[in-house]
Amino acid sequence: MRGARGGAVARAVRGGLSRRRVQTIVIGLVLLASTGACVLALGLVVDSNAPFDSAFAAQNGAHAVVTVDAGKATRAELAATAHVAGVTQAAGPFGEVTITPGVPGPPGYTGRVAAPPMTLAGRASPGGPVDRLILQQGRWAQRPGEIVLSSSYQHGLSLGAQITAGGAPGTPRLTVVGVADSIDQSADGWVTPGQIAALRAPGTPATAQLLYRFADAGTAAAVRAGIAAVSAALPAGAVTSTQSYLQVRAQVSSGIAPIVPFVVAFACLGLVMSVLIVINVITGAVVAGYRRIGILKSIGFTPGQVVAAYTGQVLAPAVAGCLGGVLLGNVLAVPVLGRTATVYGVGTLRVPVWVDVAVPVAMGALVGISALLPSLRAGRLNAVQAIATGRAPRTGRGYAAHRALGKLPLPRPVTIGLAAPFARPGRTAVTLTAIVLGAAAVTFAAGLSASLTRVAGGLSRAQADPIQVGLPGGGAITRAGKPQPSAAAQQRAVEAVLRAQPGTLHYTVETTVQARVTGIPQQVPVTAFRGNAAWIGYAMISGHWYRAPGQVDVPTGFLTVTGKAVGDTITLTAGHTQIPVRIVGEVFDTSNRGLEMFTSWQTLARSGLPLIPATYDVGLRPGTDPAAYARALSTLGPGYSVSINTNEAFFVTLIGLIGMLVLLLAIVAGLGVLNTVVLHTRERVHDLGIFKAIGMTPRQTIAMVVCWVAGTGLLAGVIAVPAGVALHRYVLPVMARAAGTGLPASYLTVYHPAELVLLALAGTVIATAGALLPASWAARARTATALRAE
Amino acid sequence: MDALIRLDEVTKRYDNDAAPAVDGVSMQIAPGEAVAVMGPSGSGKSTLLNMIAGLDRPTSGTVTVAGERIDRLSETGVARFWRRRVGMIFQFFNLLDDLTVLDNVLLPAQLAGVPRGKAQARADELLAALRIGKYRQAYPARLSGGQRQRVAIARALVNRPAMLLADEPTGALDSANGELIGGLLLDLNRSGQTLVVVTHNPDLAARYAHRTIEVADGRIAADAGVGARR
Repeated sequence: MRGARGGAVARAVRGGLSRRRVQTIVIGLVLLASTGACVLALGLVVDSNAPFDSAFAAQNGAHAVVTVDAGKATRAELAATAHVAGVTQAAGPFGEVTITPGVPGPPGYTGRVAAPPMTLAGRASPGGPVDRLILQQGRWAQRPGEIVLSSSYQHGLSLGAQITAGGAPGTPRLTVVGVADSIDQSADGWVTPGQIAALRAPGTPATAQLLYRFADAGTAAAVRAGIAAVSAALPAGAVTSTQSYLQVRAQVSSGIAPIVPFVVAFACLGLVMSVLIVINVITGAVVAGYRRIGILKSIGFTPGQVVAAYTGQVLAPAVAGCLGGVLLGNVLAVPVLGRTATVYGVGTLRVPVWVDVAVPVAMGALVGISALLPSLRAGRLNAVQAIATGRAPRTGRGYAAHRALGKLPLPRPVTIGLAAPFARPGRTAVTLTAIVLGAAAVTFAAGLSASLTRVAGGLSRAQADPIQVGLPGGGAITRAGKPQPSAAAQQRAVEAVLRAQPGTLHYTVETTVQARVTGIPQQVPVTAFRGNAAWIGYAMISGHWYRAPGQVDVPTGFLTVTGKAVGDTITLTAGHTQIPVRIVGEVFDTSNRGLEMFTSWQTLARSGLPLIPATYDVGLRPGTDPAAYARALSTLGPGYSVSINTNEAFFVTLIGLIGMLVLLLAIVAGLGVLNTVVLHTRERVHDLGIFKAIGMTPRQTIAMVVCWVAGTGLLAGVIAVPAGVALHRYVLPVMARAAGTGLPASYLTVYHPAELVLLALAGTVIATAGALLPASWAARARTATALRAE
Repeated sequence: MDALIRLDEVTKRYDNDAAPAVDGVSMQIAPGEAVAVMGPSGSGKSTLLNMIAGLDRPTSGTVTVAGERIDRLSETGVARFWRRRVGMIFQFFNLLDDLTVLDNVLLPAQLAGVPRGKAQARADELLAALRIGKYRQAYPARLSGGQRQRVAIARALVNRPAMLLADEPTGALDSANGELIGGLLLDLNRSGQTLVVVTHNPDLAARYAHRTIEVADGRIAADAGVGARR
């Protein structure tokens, strides 16, 4: 008996599905799109941290790396910090030293070139209680003169390569014997503990690093508290710098973090839209099926069976849509997660399995609840009343709108169409919301794409500074090196060739010197430009480009780390000279996590260091092809590198992803409209027959049906534009903060008035696109058939 | 006879396996005639009327109205044909509930592009003639069946059609209202309006039509009074 009842419900579900093919397809597609967006969003959120956390746990990473002045604390005092309250594990002290390594120059050079400064720690083995190093290649350093490099600091050095320790007495040579990974990035290389003293420059204080794990390290505040407890246990001034694992995690995950906010925004939009549309579909199916419900109940269906029949009609396509959405989300995640995998060096990265399971289950539950409410209403319907009432809207609704709109000097089919939404205010409100969300997503995406294009251009400076010419030796020739030909001859040669090119608009030469800045533990690259470099293309977040000696511009990362602001004065130490400089501008640049400075040649010349030009930056006249220009510079001969600045390919992927997501959401909104119009057409099929029977042409029918939602679409567009712009204004700075930078105002003000007008029409376009298909069905319907329909 | 309506071997099938609803019917109706099409339920009389009206297409055969092959017209062509030639009234009135009486009557004229003032004047004239002028701003739901059918007649006549087709026009009315509507149709025919009425009511056919076509099983079983005028 129970089986028979179940069979009856199944037959009712099958019957409903076949009778309402359009709604079935709409539900499936809506769930496909929204589940896809949610899987992608959650997958990215999880994967932005998961690989780091796994590696951190496996290597028992340090929550804090604390560098101390070994002269200010005894070994006993340092050892005692392992027992400070809150410290669960500790390692060290490991002697620490910073050298300026000299590495073999490029082919054709007899000298060595200076690589970026390198922090070395003295460790007897890669293991230990905290920060267990993973040996990737070779072996651990066993004797003086051997070094194990961090994989993040290889600079083309392979096993067996030799580097010189610049700054150390006698400039000793170190042979690379291994490559290792530290999840904490606690050092750029490791040597035996006994080697550290021999590598320290005369006059510099002895430093050591201690590694700690804390009982509570879930938040930045907790880590700061742990560090404060350790610092308090040491003599005042002993701690010279600290590093939290959260900083490292943020840095490592910064490749994906900026993407997360907008994908989450899209996913939320998709989620809300799918719920609204499902509610609309089911409510519509119940309303359209009043007579059918009445008939089902009159032949013995219980309220529970009616509920099951209507919920089943939704869940079948919803399940199919959810499963398809999981597939879609995984496919869309491939290009983004591929990049993240590269950042972490973890090979491949996929959407976690639990995300693939949890999202469709959650979406299914959401849809089930959305379907249940109108289905319960269906179950409670009185059979006689349902059969008698049919699907007619409540009498009186929308009459005033008809009367008012009928007075407008517009074709009658248009005014009848525009008045239709007032007959179903609830459905109109849901449809309006779905179109608002879809149009807002379009507005948001248009702004986001424009902003990201500017971000990509700002980071690459491909527009202002499309060509860079590198001089042999890269400007970092050590005193021992002897470039061939001389630096002056190189400059004369390059400038002669640049002047000879008709496409040259302007050029400047730059060099980079490593300097110390108060508040930043590591050295900071300072790039100096000779002559006017205001055209070079760094976008200003605040302040202005330097105009006089003694002025510098810095990125947001620099200001964040140092706690300085535009207008402040800082002291940089280049060589042995301290140079006070004033920060006059905050530039948009994320290189080296924003830890860099830009200034004039004269400012850096005060250091007394020999400034050797490294790179020529070339701006081109409008219409000049950078590739052709670069080819023309081949006359410079071997040793000179000519590169073309182009936007990072990742941004192309990102903008493509945005386009894909917004297309999905626009399709979802369009399907929502289609569903509404189909419901409306079903309800008014008899009226359509009357219209046609009194002379309404197919074209007039299409106009009327499109106008059922066109007014709603126009209103939605007007609401959606400010909503989309507001979302853009909110999300973009969040993305920038995730990337550790501010944004120039011009990257936010990307909407032109004409564009906003066009975007306001997006709602109408979505509504019209969604309505056209059912409108053409209505126009083609045979009049006699429509008149016979109930 | 100079036919206004001419059907030649018209067959209509809704289902290939089932018997045809209309089976090889040929007939002609002259201008100014009042014709009653009679037959039992399911005999095919409404299908016949729908094909004359252009609301439905024959499976085979031809339907010519005022010299125009309407079975070959596109949907747009049918709509334009309707505006010029046909006024139709239905058993259940088929008024649009969300439009006032006046708007219902005006609608065919507005769809045909008749200037608003001219259409309004014609609608007022018809509503007054049918004695429902005071209900011009009322909604159909507030009217009685007879009043609704008079609104439907006004709507059918607003574009001065060549023929008036009526499908069971008194079928949903009580006898008094049925008499009233029948009298109105008779008056219209006397003023020269061609009238085709589908009915299963022999009294209505006898009193208000001067020609009766009996349909059974999709075929013309009898055709009495061809060419007669009252």
